[in-house]
Formats: sequence, structure tokens, C-alpha cells
Amino acid sequence: MNLGLKDNQGSSKTKLEERGTEYNLKAPVTGAVTINNFIVVSFGDGKVRFFSQNNEPFVVQAHKGVILSLAGIEDSVLTGGEDGRFLKISDNGNIKEIANFGTQWIDAVASYKMNYACSSGRKAYLWTEDKETALTLDNPSTVGGLSFDETGNRLAVSSYGGVTVWEKGNRRWKSSRFVWKGSHGKVTFSPDGKYLISAMQENEIHGWRIRDKTDLTMSGYPSKVKSLTWVGSTPYLVTSGANEAICWPFDGKGPLGRKPICVANGGNQNATFVQALPDENAVFIGFHDGSVLLSEIDETKKSYPIRSQTGYEVSVISISSDKKYILIGDIKGNVLCSPLWAGEL
Amino acid sequence: MQTSEQVPVTVLTGFLGAGKTTLLNRILTEQHGRKYAVIVNEFGEQGIDNDLVVDADEEVFEMNNGCICCTVRGDLIRILGGLMKRADQLDAIIVETTGLADPAPVAQTFFVDQDVADRTKLDAIVTVADAVHLNSQLGEHHEAEEQIAFADVVLMNKVDLVDEVGLENVKSRIRKINPYAKIIKTTKCAAPLDEILGLNAFSLDRVLEVEPDFLDSDHDHEHDDDVTSISFVSEKPLNMDKFQSWFGDLLQTHGQDILRSKGILNFANKDERYVFQGVHMLMDASPMGPWPKNDNKNSRVVFIGRNLDKMGLKEGFEGCI
Repeated sequence: MNLGLKDNQGSSKTKLEERGTEYNLKAPVTGAVTINNFIVVSFGDGKVRFFSQNNEPFVVQAHKGVILSLAGIEDSVLTGGEDGRFLKISDNGNIKEIANFGTQWIDAVASYKMNYACSSGRKAYLWTEDKETALTLDNPSTVGGLSFDETGNRLAVSSYGGVTVWEKGNRRWKSSRFVWKGSHGKVTFSPDGKYLISAMQENEIHGWRIRDKTDLTMSGYPSKVKSLTWVGSTPYLVTSGANEAICWPFDGKGPLGRKPICVANGGNQNATFVQALPDENAVFIGFHDGSVLLSEIDETKKSYPIRSQTGYEVSVISISSDKKYILIGDIKGNVLCSPLWAGEL
Repeated sequence: MQTSEQVPVTVLTGFLGAGKTTLLNRILTEQHGRKYAVIVNEFGEQGIDNDLVVDADEEVFEMNNGCICCTVRGDLIRILGGLMKRADQLDAIIVETTGLADPAPVAQTFFVDQDVADRTKLDAIVTVADAVHLNSQLGEHHEAEEQIAFADVVLMNKVDLVDEVGLENVKSRIRKINPYAKIIKTTKCAAPLDEILGLNAFSLDRVLEVEPDFLDSDHDHEHDDDVTSISFVSEKPLNMDKFQSWFGDLLQTHGQDILRSKGILNFANKDERYVFQGVHMLMDASPMGPWPKNDNKNSRVVFIGRNLDKMGLKEGFEGCI
């Protein structure tokens, strides 16, 4: 990796801050996804901004109130809001309303190619490429998170007491329940589809080996795990929630009985967001004070400062699909958009 | 915490028909110019006149933390988290509960969830009680007792429909359950709003300011399941180690029955006052600066709950001296 970071010591601004553009956009950054060469960012004032490398971002006023959930789908993004609207916004700014749930919030959205889903209250709604109307998936309690696997044929829906996996069968989607006491939020499949992981209300994450529903409990975090990302070819599941990135190995027999690798120490504060550097064994870690570090998943390597502290919790880190630039956002609406690699301004 | 100040959250409880919605609409219309979010339950009685009304479904979660009575409102964690992402700062958040709701999970949410605690603070639990029906409701529904037990303020509403004797009767019933609550007599919930909002009742320093009505704690003719209160005073300083050991054990074993606890403590060899308050097994405690001059430095503790006479509270407390 050559990010031109080596001679950064002692400077108050990081190299990425020096070569990047900073914005204050006045509303908390709530999400970011990549489509084409855009990084699309959602905000607490209902706006969506399309960032690209050499242009000023263009803005779409999409929702009234907070945008709670965001996912990318082909040339568009899907957004769910406090206003109960589920929208599809294309990269030329066109808005199409897919559904409207009135006063009910849309807490989660997910997509895979042409399949997409959203949740509102206890119900998840699934749209597939071959059907006009959504399939309604009932849940025992409010949906905490949604995620498709890498084939798009399975959708995980988390809630209180476990995760339900809906799998596409010949005629209909069939459900299978993965039970674990407690409230489950963000949910993700491992890239090989063998594991299902959820972040819990308690300071821990829970996993299941899907084949036999063997439980994996990954605990010991000092705070709630709000962010998960799969890193590298091993792969590692990297998590926020501690004062360094906790990286669980999922090669071979998985993390059962193995210790995680811990990288990028943030001192006396916890990580709030983690984002893989695609195709590398490296991860960006955002902290409570707004600082961001980059580290390889290797405890012998030192980490690099990417962004200095702003005083506000990092809520988003996103890398463009062409890996040319990075965007960092926080809960105060500060956004840094910067070329990732040295010598590319 | 780095973010702007915590948004105060007022919890409105009370039985169906007591006047919660009347109070809510009064707050929203009279405090114009202020920005409120109102979280209402799905069985709301009537329309709420506000821009920002959020439907909640009162999902009570058990925390998987080894504490059997530690339940939280999962929907509140989700909704408060969402509201904190708004671009505009809210002046306050009001949570209306259903008539039969137990206030404990709401209060515990603010103790248990770090994000909720960082960004919001529980201001007060306000219980609207129907002066006409409270007595019978207390006998029939344990939720009514819990709502009085948890209250920082009890609005004794519809007082125009009850005679003086009846009112005194209701008031002493409330007092017996909760000696700490401020009781306001109202008709159509017409209470000064500054006695309902912005009370900071859950901050530890407020424990110092609000003196309970100390009642003689006789337990005659009370049913076992009745919520009562009991208080103790010690003129002698307490032993900190003994107190911590007794109080920790007490909450572990009887936390389910102890609805609320509060106290100001004078420990031997410590110059500062110690203050605590708890909800079931969860507790918040801290030193709160030196004793005021002329204060007799008495330690005071109050428990509100069920089966209090079976916990050996008096002996336990006296054993800490």
C-alpha cells in the first residue's frame, strides 16, 4: 500500500486532510453507499448527496426528517426515512416512491442486484425481480437489521430473540429461525455464506454456523458494537465497540476457540465505525472523537492516521468502487472527501 | 461527552382515561416555540397536535446480562437513536405510555443503554391519576401502584369531582406508596408546566433537594402485594464497606421487589456526601460535594416496593453503622 502517509508525524493535519475537501453539512451523516463512481451519503435532514472525485457533490432533498436507512441498487440508492417513505433515487437525482408507510419509520433497507427489502415495525418487505408487489415477512418483534447474502437468495431479518433467514425456494421463500436470547440489530452473512452474524443490544456479537446452527458468542466489548465489516481474503470480521478494532478470523474452522486480532488502538475511547479497504487485508477504524486510523490486520504493524479528531463520533466511512477516494462523515455533519492515494490530485 | 447537551425526556404514565392526552396537548399548545418530539403508544386515546409524533409499540426486552428484572424498552432505544440523528435540536422528548404499562423498563432504558444515556436524560416520570378512580384502580391493578411508585410527580386530576375527604383519602394513599413524589391537584390537568417539565428529577443532585414526607411506617391491614415505602435515618456515620456489601446483596436478592430506592449517605472518614438512586437492581451513585454548613449530616434512605418488611431492611441498614 502506498498512501503517502509515512511522513505525517507531528503535523496537525493528516495527509488525507491536506489533500482532501472538508464540508460542514449541518446535519448528522446517517449512511453512505457506493454506486458507480459515486459515494452517496444520507443525512439527518432528509438530504442525499452524491459525491464524486473531482466534482462538487450534488444534493437531492429526498425525505422530510431523518434518513434512517440506505442501500445501493444498480445506478440508484434506496432510502428509508422517518417520514415513512421508501424511495429509489437514481444517480441523476430522480426520485421514485416505492412504498409509503405513513407514520411508521423505515428502519432498515437492503439490496442485492434486483432484489431489495425494507423493514417497518415488525414487518419486512421483500421485492424480487420477478414480482411487482412485495412479499410481506412477519416478525415476532421490530426488525433490527436486514441483509442479503452474496447470492441474493437468502435474506436475514434480525429482531428480538434471534434472526430469521428467508431463503428462495422453487416456489416461495422459506424461513428458518436462528435463536439467541436478547435483541439483535445489524446482521450480516460471511462472504462465503457459511456464517450468520448479528450485533446485539448487549455489548457482544452473536454468530451461527448456518449448516448446523452452532452458536458463536463474541463478547467482552466495553460498548455496543455498531459497525461490522468483512476484511481481506481470510476473511476477518472486524468490529467496532472497543478501543481498538477487534478482528475475528473466519478461515478454516472459524473463530470458535480462537482469539481475535486487535489493531489500531484509539487510546481511551471506543471505535464507532469500521470499513474494509476492499481487496486488502486492511481496515479503516473511526472513533468516538472523530479520528480515523488505517491498519493492516496484523498486530505487529503500526496504524496510520487518516483523519484527526473533530470532537464528533465517526458515523460513516466509505471507499469509492474504484478505490480512488474515501469519504468520512460524523454525527455533526462534518464530511471529509479525499483522494486515497498519494500523487493523484 | 462531546455532543451538545442531553435532550430531556419526560415520561407520562397513568391509567386509561386519567388525562394523559389532555396533559400532553396542553404541553404542546402552551409551550409554543419549543420543539418537542412525542412518542405515543399504538393504543393512544385521541389525536395529538404536534409535527413530530412517533408511534411506539412498547416492546419490552429482557437484557441478557444476568439481571433477571433488567428489562428495557427496545423501541425507545431505536426511536431515541433515530431522533438524535435529526438536524434540528429538540427541546424535549415526551414519552406517553399505555395505561397498563410498567414504568420500570422505560426508566431502566436510560440506565442500561449507553447511547441513550449519552444523548438524552430521563427528566421525570409524571403520573396522571384519576382522583375519582385511583383508589379502586390501586386495588385492582398492580400497574397502577407501580405508576404511582415510580412517579416524580403525581397529577391528581379531576379533583373537581371529589369532595375534600375523598381527596385527602386519595392523597394519603399516594403518599403511602410514594413519599417522594410531588402531588399536584388539578382539574383538566391544568398544572403549571414548569412543575412538570424540566425537573431533572433523575439527576443525583435532585435527591438532595427533595425531602420525602416521612411517614410512620406501620403496615397494618395491608395486602402482601401492596406497594409501600419505608425510610430510615441514621445520626451515626455509616461504614462504607459494610453499606456497599449490604446494599449490593440487597439489590441482587430483592431488586425485583424494590421498585425505587434513594438515599443520602454520610460515611465515616469521608468529608463528602454520597447520593444514590436506583430502579430495581440498577443503581446510580456518586459523591456530591461537602455537606452544607449546619446540616446534621444524617444518612437518609428510602425504599419503595413490595414485601419490604421481609427484607430485614432496618437490621441491614443499622448493621452498616
